[in-house]
Amino acid sequence: MKKELIELRVNGRDHEVAIEPSALLLDVLRQELQLTGSKRGCDDSSCGACTVLVDGVAMMSCTLLAASCEGQEITTIEGVSEHGSLAAIQKAYGDWGGAQCGYCTPGFIMTVKSLLAENPDPSESDIRDALSSNLCRCTGYNQMYEAIRSAIAAERCAVRNSEQGK
Amino acid sequence: MSLPRFKLLRPRSVAEAVEHLVNHAGSVRVLAGGTDMIPSMRQKLFEPEYVVDLRGVTALREVKLQADGSVEIGALTTIRTIERSDFLREHYPVLAEAAGTVASPVLRNMGTIGGNICLDTRCLWYNQSLTWRKGCGFCIKKDGDLCHVAPGGTKCWAAFSGDTPPALLCLKAEIEIAGPHGTRRVPLSDFYTGLGDNYRKLQASELVTRVFLPASSKDYRGVYRKLRVRGSIDYPLAGVAVVLKRSNGHVSDARIGITAVNPAPLLVKGASELLSGRAVDEALAEAAGDLAAKISKPLTTSALTPEYRREMIRVFTKRAVLAAAQVNGN
Amino acid sequence: MTQPTPRSQRPTTDFSIIGKPTAMVDAAEKTTGAGKYTDDLSVPGMLVGKILHSPCPHARIKRIHTSRAEQLEGVVAVVVGKDAPSPYGILPVGHDEHALAVDKVRYVGDNVACVVAISEAIAEEALELIDVDYEVLPAYFDPEESMKASSDLIHDNRPNNLEKDYHHVFGDPDKGFAEADHVAEARFIANEVTHAAMEPHSTLAAFEIDSQTGKPGRLTVWSSTQVPYYLQHKLSLVLEIPMAQIRVIKPLVGGGFGGKSEVIPIEIIAAVAARKAQAPVKITYTREEVFWAHRGRPRTIIDLKTGVKNDGRIIAVKARVVQDGGAYCSYGVVTILYSGALLGALYDIPNIQYDGYRVLTNKPACGAMRGHGTVNVRFAFESQLDELAAKIGMDPAEIRRRNLLQPPCITVNGLRVQSYGLPECIEKTVTRSGWKERKGKLPRGRGLGVACSHYVSGAANSIIRSDMPHSTVNIKIDRDGGVVVYTGASEIGQGSDTMTAQIAAEVLGCSLSRVRVVAADTDLTPIDIGSYSSRVTFMAGNATLRAATEVKKLIVAAAATKMNCQPDDLVFREDAVVSRNGHVGTAAIESLPRAQPRGPAEQSSAATVSGRVEGQILRGSLQQKRKDEGPKDRMTFEEAVVAAIDFHGALTGTGSYAPPAEARGGKHKGAGVGPSPAYSYSAQVAEVSVDEETGEVTVHKVWAAHDCGRALNPVSVEGQIIGSVWMGMGQALTEEMVWKDGMLMNPGLLEYRSPSSIESPEVEPIIVESVDPEGPFGAKECSEGSLAATIPAIANAIYDAVGIRLHESPFTPERVLAALRAKKNAKAINLTEGVDPTSPTRFREHGGSLWFKGKGPERHPLDPSRHEPAGGAD
Repeated sequence: MKKELIELRVNGRDHEVAIEPSALLLDVLRQELQLTGSKRGCDDSSCGACTVLVDGVAMMSCTLLAASCEGQEITTIEGVSEHGSLAAIQKAYGDWGGAQCGYCTPGFIMTVKSLLAENPDPSESDIRDALSSNLCRCTGYNQMYEAIRSAIAAERCAVRNSEQGK
Repeated sequence: MSLPRFKLLRPRSVAEAVEHLVNHAGSVRVLAGGTDMIPSMRQKLFEPEYVVDLRGVTALREVKLQADGSVEIGALTTIRTIERSDFLREHYPVLAEAAGTVASPVLRNMGTIGGNICLDTRCLWYNQSLTWRKGCGFCIKKDGDLCHVAPGGTKCWAAFSGDTPPALLCLKAEIEIAGPHGTRRVPLSDFYTGLGDNYRKLQASELVTRVFLPASSKDYRGVYRKLRVRGSIDYPLAGVAVVLKRSNGHVSDARIGITAVNPAPLLVKGASELLSGRAVDEALAEAAGDLAAKISKPLTTSALTPEYRREMIRVFTKRAVLAAAQVNGN
Repeated sequence: MTQPTPRSQRPTTDFSIIGKPTAMVDAAEKTTGAGKYTDDLSVPGMLVGKILHSPCPHARIKRIHTSRAEQLEGVVAVVVGKDAPSPYGILPVGHDEHALAVDKVRYVGDNVACVVAISEAIAEEALELIDVDYEVLPAYFDPEESMKASSDLIHDNRPNNLEKDYHHVFGDPDKGFAEADHVAEARFIANEVTHAAMEPHSTLAAFEIDSQTGKPGRLTVWSSTQVPYYLQHKLSLVLEIPMAQIRVIKPLVGGGFGGKSEVIPIEIIAAVAARKAQAPVKITYTREEVFWAHRGRPRTIIDLKTGVKNDGRIIAVKARVVQDGGAYCSYGVVTILYSGALLGALYDIPNIQYDGYRVLTNKPACGAMRGHGTVNVRFAFESQLDELAAKIGMDPAEIRRRNLLQPPCITVNGLRVQSYGLPECIEKTVTRSGWKERKGKLPRGRGLGVACSHYVSGAANSIIRSDMPHSTVNIKIDRDGGVVVYTGASEIGQGSDTMTAQIAAEVLGCSLSRVRVVAADTDLTPIDIGSYSSRVTFMAGNATLRAATEVKKLIVAAAATKMNCQPDDLVFREDAVVSRNGHVGTAAIESLPRAQPRGPAEQSSAATVSGRVEGQILRGSLQQKRKDEGPKDRMTFEEAVVAAIDFHGALTGTGSYAPPAEARGGKHKGAGVGPSPAYSYSAQVAEVSVDEETGEVTVHKVWAAHDCGRALNPVSVEGQIIGSVWMGMGQALTEEMVWKDGMLMNPGLLEYRSPSSIESPEVEPIIVESVDPEGPFGAKECSEGSLAATIPAIANAIYDAVGIRLHESPFTPERVLAALRAKKNAKAINLTEGVDPTSPTRFREHGGSLWFKGKGPERHPLDPSRHEPAGGAD
């Protein structure tokens, strides 16, 4: 099959890639752009390890054709770290044991990013609902809740500090 | 597992999409949210030469209130949008609730109402990889000519497993279908054939474009109950939508829709006759459950045994009737 | 959702690193996506391998036609069985596997051929062009049926398709039962579950060209393995190249749970394919292939009989266990032995009879899975113990207290028990769950259940039958003050690397950030037999402790000279060396600059860079400065290291660990499996509710106390306890591999239902520290032992809630409802297709039909049964 040249905007940068029309976004991210943080865990769109943001909305990159994402803003786990340091949610996942083997972690962090973007003060059940898009086999999810709460608190604290600094 | 190789067509309008369908009839598949189509293509259940990707058709993504009081929902409206629409939550809560049970939040961000209506029927002997299906000798629905769930049978029993259609049936929804000769509008109840293989009445050159909820259904309020093993991700193993219309303190009309236990989502006949004019109590709700269980014919197409799933249609219908009565302020 | 309990009840500690909540050393790699798992790797010229699997459960391969596939543009090689015909297997007694089938296929999914191509799509296309002529053989799917087989055996050298059977008698069980006041006897069935680690297995294999010979030489294999050393060994066996010519590297591994604890076909196939294709080859399993590779927990029949006295004392136990092991041995011999051996070491049981049968069937091979061998039998045992408690009117927690061991002791089956935190585990779960106040007083449909379990901290006898150390660790410290620990232990998400760094840093008294762990690379790291049977903390931890202690001695000697004091007077802590004389204990340390505490996993990450003089790292001037000064009363860690290197030369230390002879068990046949240098203990209370109309069970909360000896890293220990309990809950309620005539009906994460966050309960982990005399800082295992108690705790809670005893797991809603309806004498409906979940007799197969006998419509051209009469598979 002849490859097509498409332009993908990923983590704020434009990339021209030549791909087959049937190429999945996940494969293009991993193989063409070497952004291997998004993972493949299943083949039936059930596990969420490949979750990325498309125009800010959490989606499974294994279930999207790369070509149909042209013109949209894609954010992967590689686009989450802020200025070379861990974002609050990444730090909290490490500190609270939210990540064990780490394979599902990028997907979870993207899911949590999208949750907090639309709902900065989620209830326990909001968090639980949101996390139900992704499967984890190590943690039983418990320590993730602690991590998310701690990240929210850290973000608030940072906001307060910056407001006070003004 | 890679996708079969295909040429991708990316129309910007319905007319353009239909044109593609006409031009490549027989070797083309429509892709909306992709949450069922992409895994199915991985499993080589579909190996089209062309895929018409509807992501670029922006016109069909809205929930609109029409002048006559009816509601128009674009087929590409995401399940998430429907679940969260304040308007639908207020006036058609059964639909918003059913939408909120589909798969998982991220899958609802992707999946569309049109896709949920057109969802391929499911069976454990069918939704498997090509290699797996070779092992079982294929089946009627794909590549073979025998049914494994009804041994010796020549009818396909794959179960329709969408969550929103039973709610839409209860709301007497109609769908708009676009084709080479323009659009036609059909009641959703006429869309399904009742067969597991050719499960819907849609020509290869046609496309479901809109869903309409009649103004008259606005007074029908109700609930959706879904049987599944996990609280997320799973398709329904049985599902029941119940809506009631009330006047002067009693039920004046009632509709019950069931899913995941037959090759089509079905409205339960006789529900209105049973429930109308009466105050809902446990015994009446149970009678409604018996009525629904009678028309459900689950087979071993999914997890949990057929007998159990039929029993749950009974229990969930009873509970849904009681809950719907609560919603309506019984 | 209730608020998780704050972890204020964690044990306190005087160590500077041990016992402190510590973020895993590789956490940032994982949370940023920067860390590399095997499938994330690529090397120049790398090709993709795809495997052709058998569609038949049991068939002879008459011929494989590969030419059409070979001719496809983009295909580089097609590999078949004869390309690497040497058999292998993880156990020396079970070399019954081949890289690719040589003469027969033995399950649907068995490996037949491998295509190597320039892309995945082309490789998949080529698979469809390989034609295989099969002669279909009668197949065996039920273990009790399989044991009756006299012909068409799955392996010719295994009569009756029996992989192995063991018959153990300890004490006098018959006499015991005669003396018992109450006896319970029943059949329990535990259905099959699998690891379902999030990372599908992946292997990348590449040969280097040898500079001397100019021919392919050394092989490097990157693989998602828990056992790099065993992989190196088996690769050597099958490829017939010396181990020294093979390098195995374990990148990040996305979960194992035992599923990567042996050599998986993909790992051998990738190497054979790379050799034939003369190029690097990567193979990554599809999720379906992961299910076929399996090695999970076998479905098991447990016929269990227990006798107790009126005072609750267990006097005799008799267990007959039949495991449906699938088509290959795998770890099977060990699994069936663990099932018997771990009847002991939890409670004091004087008389035990055990008859274990590991049976071959035409299904994917079962192997080791979290709680290896003990889980299903523990479900039966703890359920039956609950029934006996009810019979004699005793509180279920009390009956467990009545049967405690009195350590130190040797159990009737030869297991040495030293540290034993079970009494405290029971006490703490009972207290924290409000057992006494709430048991029996909850509203109808809601209940509490208790159960206990235990597990080994590594096997005292390694499967390779040698006296070599099970773990060896090297440490190198150079003039930069950096500590590099070389360990063969495999980090698979459990925190192995972090544990290693913590122990090294604690012993050396340096900060964690000085320590770099180089792990699981057979070229660089000494032999460690791998991450399985919860052996790493105990064994690799002890080896690290010894290596660090050895190297520290060199630093101590130099520092003592430098500081003009006795070596024993020196305290190494937080990057400082101080003398006890004059600067006692922490006072001196507190005068040192310290990192600000931060967050829950606080740690001192800012190493004091003592070599930095006026903004430059000037080793020469540092040494000059040091020489100019007289005796010191305090040195930085780095100064001490530099001094030691000046005195001794390079600083290296080696430590290794082999279990002591006393811990290695009895002399009977099969006594090698079960003994461990130490056992962990767990007691749990589960709170559930049962919907009596639907049979749906909700687990609200589990209190889980686990005796881990000492919690080296409480965050990790709690994570392991929660994860084990949660996985046990999955097996109890939602997870089940569903079979029909050897076809796995649910080979994917959509239909194999690992719980989502919605139905996952809060788990309150309670750390109990018995401080084992031989564990590193007293530590024992914490990653497996908790799993087994969860299933019976839930079963017992269901009984408490609604009065039914389920003898078949998982407790799916149709099984629960069937039991409830039977109890109420409600109209019988066939909810469970003839298998009563309260007294199951056989395994239940999925409904429907797979094969037709001589009738039915014409088959699809690809249908294997079209070519051959459908024989015997019905």
